[in-house]
Amino acid sequence: MLRLFGLLALLLLALALALSVGARPVSLAMALEALHSFDPTNPDHVTLAAIRLPRMAAGLIAGAALGIAGTIMQVMTRNPLADPGILGVNSGAAFALLLGATLLGRSDQASVALLSLPGAALASALVFILGGGLRGDVGPVRLTLAGAALNALLLSLVTAIVLIRQDTLDLFRFWVAGSLTQAASRPLAEMALLAAAGGALALAMAPQIEALSLGSALSRGLGTKPRRVQTAALAVVTLCTGAAVAVAGPIAFLGLMVPPLARIVAGHSLRRALIASALMGATLLLLADTLGRVVMPPAEVRAGIMTALIGGPVFMWVARRLRPGASA
Amino acid sequence: MRARLIDFSRRGFLGGALGSTLVGTGSLLAAPQLRAGEDTLRFEHAYGETVLKAPARRVVSLGYTTQDSLLALGIVPQAIRYWYGDYPHGVWPWAQPLLGEATPALMTGEVSIETVAGLAPDLIVAIGSGISEAEYALLSQIAPVLMQAPEYPTYGMPWDAELLMIARATGTEAKAEALIASVADGFAAFRDRHPDWQGQTAACAAHDGGQTSAFTGGDARVQFLQEMGFRQPQALEAISSADGFYTALSPEDLSPLDADLLIWLSSQAKAADLASLAMRRTLRANAEGREVFCGEVLAGALSFGSVLSMPFALAQLEPELIAALDGDPSTAVPSAAKAGLL
Repeated sequence: MLRLFGLLALLLLALALALSVGARPVSLAMALEALHSFDPTNPDHVTLAAIRLPRMAAGLIAGAALGIAGTIMQVMTRNPLADPGILGVNSGAAFALLLGATLLGRSDQASVALLSLPGAALASALVFILGGGLRGDVGPVRLTLAGAALNALLLSLVTAIVLIRQDTLDLFRFWVAGSLTQAASRPLAEMALLAAAGGALALAMAPQIEALSLGSALSRGLGTKPRRVQTAALAVVTLCTGAAVAVAGPIAFLGLMVPPLARIVAGHSLRRALIASALMGATLLLLADTLGRVVMPPAEVRAGIMTALIGGPVFMWVARRLRPGASA
Repeated sequence: MRARLIDFSRRGFLGGALGSTLVGTGSLLAAPQLRAGEDTLRFEHAYGETVLKAPARRVVSLGYTTQDSLLALGIVPQAIRYWYGDYPHGVWPWAQPLLGEATPALMTGEVSIETVAGLAPDLIVAIGSGISEAEYALLSQIAPVLMQAPEYPTYGMPWDAELLMIARATGTEAKAEALIASVADGFAAFRDRHPDWQGQTAACAAHDGGQTSAFTGGDARVQFLQEMGFRQPQALEAISSADGFYTALSPEDLSPLDADLLIWLSSQAKAADLASLAMRRTLRANAEGREVFCGEVLAGALSFGSVLSMPFALAQLEPELIAALDGDPSTAVPSAAKAGLL
């Protein structure tokens, strides 16, 4: 329990940094002034209200959601290297985004969020069905293979659209490295609700999901209904990653690296691991985003690139410490 | 595939690398004319030397924007390379009248050697096409291939030097020189009409995927502003970007864009993002009604920076600039009003 409070403290620190660090130094006094007499032509006020606050909220939503989705994925597939991306979420979102932008002739950020969410949801549902979801025997290997196959197909379709319609390439290349900079024009409140629903479902179903991860025969013996649990787990992953993708685009590595780290902190209870990964996911994404603002002035490095830069080495370190089978 | 995508995107974003020297200097910059025999035309370029026995008539245009030069010289290409935009045969509105009833093939994606061979051209213009040396060697077996002159980067051959090189290969030099003079006259007349704008500052910017960026010194769009008599704001001049064409700005600090005139290169598809960009409200150009919005066609004309697109852009921009620079913040700039920027 003490460790979870430690994680919470770290998250609060990350939130404070996310609000105060950037190209423009903003003091507490300035923040209070922006609060009670907001001036839309004062760059400091605009920075706080229209840039840093929405970014902070987006980081909180996407980071926590990816932490939860990653944990559920890794338990379900019994694979410590599983990542929400293998359910086809990112490629599904990219495909829907480019197809929609081409057909509708709109590529502003609000429509980007609206298009990527159903794309992500449909892709993960399709992987679940291809993996044998309707027959009720989603094996970990089956699911992973279906995900890899659908990913390959969707990415070729994405490439085809980009080659046929050159102007979609700009949209794609900005989207594909996830970022929190467009947070202000994304549906933050709606996506926060989706992610919260996913998180609540994950916490409620945690014991059954844990039982299922022992194998469906054994879990049936323990009284769980595999198909129902698998459907719930799929719903969690879809809601959480869908919300994260709609808010921030694909954020590399976070869903992969947070769950093993959370396991180290939280031990073997899935519920505690879920809370820990939500806290750590949000903390890491916010820190990555904050760091990205200062490493290459005057431009910013996108959060999705920073998580990969930080996440790569951290993950290799974690992966080397993992004993096979110990994390599932 | 990945490298290819990045290459394309650079092209998409930095397209205006074309035409980056000032108008009128072209005749000095054109490749030296070397004649071996009486009737052979020789061209030194990035991949070596190309020899033509006689001026070409059947031309394939592989450069992303070279169709403009060819059409301006009265030569309808057999095939045109697709850059971006939804226009028949890859010919943008400013060049459409010169295309007439012709229906050149449109080549998208990789260069298809078979398609080129099937057209049996007697010249392939690959200036600013980004083809590799291997592709060049293969294409050279079909017909003589023209690349950009050796002193310029792939997408950096100035529009007037390109026009003169193509003119020499097609026997239309007189026409090219007349065209270059007429573009220069157009800018000179523009400067004469607006003496009070001379020396004011102007910036060209784009906002894409949450990233605001400004075009800098070496870019065709900035050269275009300078031809109209504007100068770069000091803050932008001070930022030296890695490749000299544009610089990304921090979303928290757009102050380098503070200028007497701010031109946004965008499209209607992305206008909503620009309209909701809150930091824009802190810029002087916004407060004083000095923002101009370029939709897809006008932004394309500035990015092509060709002999045909520049006079088109100049004519389209003039009424917008008059509304923006009249000194009265309450005069609405039509394009900015339509895009919801006010």
